[in-house]
Amino acid sequence: MTSPADLPLDGTDRVILDRLAGIYARLDPPPADLDERVTFAIALEDADAEVARLSRQLMAGSGARSTERTRTITFDADSRAVMITVAVRADGLVRIDGWLAPAAALRVELRLLEPAPPRIVLADPSGRFAFDGVPHGIAQLLVHQPADEAAPRVITPAFSL
Amino acid sequence: MIAVALGSGEAGTGSAATDRAARVGACLERARSGETAALGEIVRELNPLLWHVARSEGLAAEESADVVQTTWLELVRRLHEIRSPRALTSWLVTTTRREAWRVRELSRRQDPDGAARLAAVPDPAPGPGEQLLADEEDQVLWRHVQRLPERCRKLLRVVAHVSRPDYAAVAQALGMPVGSIGPTRGRCLAKLREMLRADPGWSR
Repeated sequence: MTSPADLPLDGTDRVILDRLAGIYARLDPPPADLDERVTFAIALEDADAEVARLSRQLMAGSGARSTERTRTITFDADSRAVMITVAVRADGLVRIDGWLAPAAALRVELRLLEPAPPRIVLADPSGRFAFDGVPHGIAQLLVHQPADEAAPRVITPAFSL
Repeated sequence: MIAVALGSGEAGTGSAATDRAARVGACLERARSGETAALGEIVRELNPLLWHVARSEGLAAEESADVVQTTWLELVRRLHEIRSPRALTSWLVTTTRREAWRVRELSRRQDPDGAARLAAVPDPAPGPGEQLLADEEDQVLWRHVQRLPERCRKLLRVVAHVSRPDYAAVAQALGMPVGSIGPTRGRCLAKLREMLRADPGWSR
C-alpha cells in the first residue's frame, strides 16, 4: 500500500504550505533592508575578490555615562582579518577606526550607498586606518592590494552603519 | 479563494515554470557578462527562502542576514558553475545551509554557553506567535506545526518558501525523496495533514 507520504503534492498541500509561508513571514520576517544590503554588496563587479566573513560583532558603550555607542566588528578572510570599531558621534555621524591583520600599509576603501562617493584611506604600517564623519546607512569595506601583488583584494559583506 | 487561485495556478504550472526559467536564465546570462545588477530581481524573489534556511539552522537574525549576503557574494564568484536556471535555487539553498553550519560551528567555539543557549531555543518566536496570528486557521495550523518534531519544523519552514518549479530540486537538496512523477508530500507534511484532519478547527 502506498503511504500518504509518497503521494504527489496536491492542492491541499499547497494551501498548507502557502499558509505556513505566510505565518513565517509574519512571525519572523527578514530584516527590511536585506534586499538592499545584498544588491548593494553584489553590485561591486569583482568576481575575483576574496570575500571576508563577519566573524564577530560586539556592542559596547551602552552605559548611562557613555556619550558614544560603539560596536566592534571582525571580518575574516583567508589572507587577512579586518577589524573595525564603529562609534556614533554626538552629531549623529559615524567614526570608523580599523586595523588590518596581518598589518600592512594598504589602501582601504569604504563603499557607501549612492550618491555618496566612496572614501579611500591608506592604512599605516601597523595596519591602522580611520574614516570620520561618515553618514549612517549601508557600507562595505574593500582592502586593495598593491598593483604588483597577485593576491585578490578583500571585500567585506555590506553592513549597516 | 486560495484554493481557486491554486487550482488555476496548478493548470498553468508548465508554462509559468518555463517563463520563469527563461527569465532567470536571462538574468544569469547578464550577470555572467558582468552586469550583477541583473540579479536584483532574483535576489528579491529568493531572499525570503534563504533567510528561512539560515534561521531554520538556528542562527540569530543578524547572523542569518550575513549568511544570506555571503551566499549571494559567493554566487557572483561562481556564476559559471550554475549550469541552468533550475540549478540556481538548490545551489543557493545548499550554499546558505553550508554557510549557516560554518557560522554556527564558529560561534559554538567562540562562546560554548551561547551556542548551548541558542540550541535550547526551540523555534524563533514560538510562544507569542499564536497571538500575532489573527486568522483562526493560521492559529490551528501553527499549533500543530509546533507539535511536529524539530526536524520536520525545520524542513517545512524551508519547503513552504520554495516556489513550485523549484520544489523537486530543492527537496532533493534537502534530502527529501522525490517521486517518479514529481515532488512527493514527504513524511513531515503527511503527518501534519493527518493532525489537521483530526482537528475540527481546520475545515479543509
